[in-house]
Amino acid sequence: MPAGVATLQGPELRYGFVNDAMRAVIGDAAQEGRSVAESPGLIPADLLEVMQQVYESGRPFVAKAYRIPTPAATGSGAAIRYFDVALEPVREGGGPVSGLLLFAVDVTEQEETRQRAHELAIETRRLDTRLRVLTETVPQITFTMDAAGKLEYVSPQWYYFTGQPPTADLNAIWPLLIHPDDRLRVLYQSDAARAAGTGWSFEYRMRRHDGQYRWLLSRALPELHAPDQPVFWHGALTEVHDQRELAEALRRGEAELRFLADSIPELIWTATSEGFIDYYNQFTGEYTGLTRDELGPTGWINLLEPTEQAGAARRWVQSIASGEPYEGLFRMRRHDGRYRWHIIRARQLADTRGPRWFGACTDVDDQHRLREVLQTQYDELARTNRDLDTFVYTASHDLKQPLLNLRGLFDELRRTARFEDPQEAEIQDMVDGALAQLDTTLQELAATVQEQRGLSAPTEPLDLRSVAEEVLLGLRAQVQEANATVELNFEAAPTLTYGRANLRSILHNLLSNALKFADPERPAAVQVYSRLDEGGRPILSVADNGLGMVLLENQATVFQPFARQHPHIGGAGVGMYLVQRIITSRGGRLEVASTVGQGTTFTIHWLEE
Amino acid sequence: MVVLRLRSISPGGVSTVPLFSMIHIVYMSRAVRPLSDQDLQLLLDQCRQDNAQRNVTGVLFYSHGNIAQLIEGEPAILEPLFDKISRDGRHSHVVKLVDKPIATRSFSDWSMAFHPLEPAGFEALEGFLLPGNLPASPSTLTIADAMMVDLVRLAVFGPDAVPTEPAEPVHA
Ligand SMILES: Cc1cc2nc3c(=O)[nH]c(=O)nc-3n(C[C@H](O)[C@H](O)[C@H](O)COP(=O)(O)O)c2cc1C
Repeated sequence: MPAGVATLQGPELRYGFVNDAMRAVIGDAAQEGRSVAESPGLIPADLLEVMQQVYESGRPFVAKAYRIPTPAATGSGAAIRYFDVALEPVREGGGPVSGLLLFAVDVTEQEETRQRAHELAIETRRLDTRLRVLTETVPQITFTMDAAGKLEYVSPQWYYFTGQPPTADLNAIWPLLIHPDDRLRVLYQSDAARAAGTGWSFEYRMRRHDGQYRWLLSRALPELHAPDQPVFWHGALTEVHDQRELAEALRRGEAELRFLADSIPELIWTATSEGFIDYYNQFTGEYTGLTRDELGPTGWINLLEPTEQAGAARRWVQSIASGEPYEGLFRMRRHDGRYRWHIIRARQLADTRGPRWFGACTDVDDQHRLREVLQTQYDELARTNRDLDTFVYTASHDLKQPLLNLRGLFDELRRTARFEDPQEAEIQDMVDGALAQLDTTLQELAATVQEQRGLSAPTEPLDLRSVAEEVLLGLRAQVQEANATVELNFEAAPTLTYGRANLRSILHNLLSNALKFADPERPAAVQVYSRLDEGGRPILSVADNGLGMVLLENQATVFQPFARQHPHIGGAGVGMYLVQRIITSRGGRLEVASTVGQGTTFTIHWLEE
Repeated sequence: MVVLRLRSISPGGVSTVPLFSMIHIVYMSRAVRPLSDQDLQLLLDQCRQDNAQRNVTGVLFYSHGNIAQLIEGEPAILEPLFDKISRDGRHSHVVKLVDKPIATRSFSDWSMAFHPLEPAGFEALEGFLLPGNLPASPSTLTIADAMMVDLVRLAVFGPDAVPTEPAEPVHA
C-alpha cells in the first residue's frame, strides 16, 4: 500500500494535490478546492481538529497507528484500518504557515500483528505460571540438564527428597548423592545419551534426606529445536523403590511377591515366560474396575488407548521373543473411563519356577500433562517469534513504497527546480546516495528476516552440482559482467544433506561476492569444490582471484551485518552475516583465507563435530 | 432447546444388542510323547472331518511336543469338545488360556501347522500349513486376541516363527 500524500492550502485547509493513495483513504470527497471541513470524507473529527491546530501553531504532528474506520467494502463488514499520519506545516519563504502537508501510511497489518503478538505474550506468561505451578506440584522431581551435563533446574521436590538446603551447589552435590555402586554407570549413561542427542531411561539409587538409598527411575528427553543439536534435556525422577523390592521378592517366591504387591497402590503384575499374565495385584483391580478373570492373560491390551494397542502388542511379543525388557508410555483406561498416562515396564527374572516376567505400571499422568503444556508453550513461543519476524518483514516492505514516493518527489524536484549554487548539486548527490543506501538496507533487512525464518527448513539430500548450476543461472548477468569463468568440481563429495533454500542462499552469497569483488585488472576465475575431511565430514570451498581483503585478527568481523570491506562496491554487507548465521545455526563453521591482490577463499565446514 | 432424536434406520447403524452366539477357546498343552508324521496326519484327518461336520473352525500349532490350539464355534459344541480334547491321552498339562464370546469367526476352516519330518507328502495336504508360511493373525480378532495367538505361536515354534511384519489388526 503506497503512502498517501495531500497538500491542504490556506486557513480553510482546501485540498490541493491529492495522490491516488490518499484519495483511496479519504474518498471522493477530496476534491481540489474544497475545504476539509465541508468535505472531510473519512477523516475523523478529531483529526480535523488537530489539522486546524497544526495550522495555527505551526508545529508538525505525527500520530502512530491512528485508527480510521472505513466503510464496508462490498461483501464485507466495516473494517478498521491503521495509519501512520504526519502533518507538516508548509511555509513559503520562511513566512507564516500557508498550508499543510498530509502524509498517511497504511500500517494496518503491522498493527494487527503487534496486537496479536501482544496477546500471545500475555498467553505465554499465563502458561508460564501454570507450568511453574504444575512443575512444583507433581509428585516427581523434574529437572533440566544442559548438553554438558550441568543441571540447569531441579524442582523443589529434589530439595525435599534429598534434604539439601536451597543454597546447596547442585552440580557439586548430585553425583555424591548417587549410590557409589551406581554412580559411574549413571554418569556414563547420561553422558552417552547427551552425546548421541537421545533421551534416556535408567534406574539408580539416590540418598534420601534420612540417609536411606531409594531406587529412582530417571527419564529424560532432549528438547528438539531442529535443526540444531539439542541444548537441554528435560526429565523426571520417579521413585520405583517399591517395584525394585517387589522384583527382589519375586526371586524369593511368588507367595511373598503377591503378599507385598497387594499392599501397594501401583499396578503390578507377573507373566509366564510365554508372555501370559498370570497375576495382577489388587490395585490393578481397583484401578481398572475389572476382575482378574475379566482381564485375562492378554486383556491388559484392551485397557490401552485404542490407537496404541497394536504397537504395544507388537512390542510385547518382541520382548517375549527376545527376552529384552519392555518399556513404553501408554494411556490406560481407569474404571471411570478416563485414560491416564502410564509407563509400563517389565523385565524377565528367574524365580524358583524358571524365567518369569515382572511388570509394573507407573502413573505419570501429571508429569506427562506437564510435558504437553511445555510443548504447547514452545509452540506458542515459536509462533510469536514467527509473527514478529513477519512484522519486521512486512514493515520493511511497506517502508519501501514511501521511499519510492520520496525518490519520485525528489526526481520531480530536480527536474523542475534549478540549482545555481554548486554546493546544492553536491547535496543533491548526497541525498541521492542516501536514498540508494536506504533502499539496499531495506531490501537486505527483508532478506535477513526471510533467511532467519528459513533456518529451520527441513534437510534433504541435495545434488551440489544442480543447486550450484541453478544459482549460477540466476547470476548470469554478473558472471558476464565480470567476464568470469566458474569451475565446479563436486566429484569428491557430490551430495550434501541440507536445507535447500539455505544451500542456495549460501552459494548465492558466496558466488555473488566472488564476482562482485573481482579484480578489474584480470578476468575473474572462481572455483567451487567439495570434499570430505579426515573425519569424513563434508566441506565446500569457494575460491576467487579477486581483490582479496585484510583480515583482522578477529575473523568474525567479516561476518558482522553491515561490515563492509570495499565501501566503493555496492551492498550493505548483510550477505556474509547471513551465510555465517545459516552455517552456524546448522552446526557448521565458516572459514576465510585471503591475500590482498590475489584472492579470497571461503571454506564451509558443514558439520563442526 | 429441543433436540429431536431420530431412530437410526440406516443399514450402517450399530446393533445395540450384541448377540454372541459363538465362543472361542485357546489352550496350550504338551504331547505325552513326540508325535510322528503319521500321528499328526491321523489327527489332521480325524479332526478336519469331525470339525467340518460340527462347524468348528480354528488352528492347531505343533512343534517338538508343544501344542497350542484355537477353536471357535457354538458353545454347546465347543464346551464338550474341549472337555474331550483335554482328556485325550495323547497330551497332558492342558492349560486353558481363554474361553469367551466372540462376534465373528476368524478362521474359515480348521487347519494344522507343524514341521513334518518328511515335508514332501504334506505340502499338498488340505488343512496343512508349514509354520513358516503361517498367515498373520486375522484382523477380525481383537488386538488382545491376536496378540494371544502370536504369543502361543511363539511359545510353540520359538522366536523364528514370529512374523517379521506383524499384521496391524483393525480395531473394531
Ligand atoms: C492336540 C489334540 C487336538 C485335538 N483337536 C480336536 C478337534 O479340534 N476336534 C476334534 O473333533 N477332535 C480333536 N481331538 C481329538 C479328540 O480328543 C478325540 O480324540 C476325537 O474327537 C475323537 O473322539 P471320539 O473317539 O469320541 O469320536 C484332538 C486331540 C488332540 C490330542
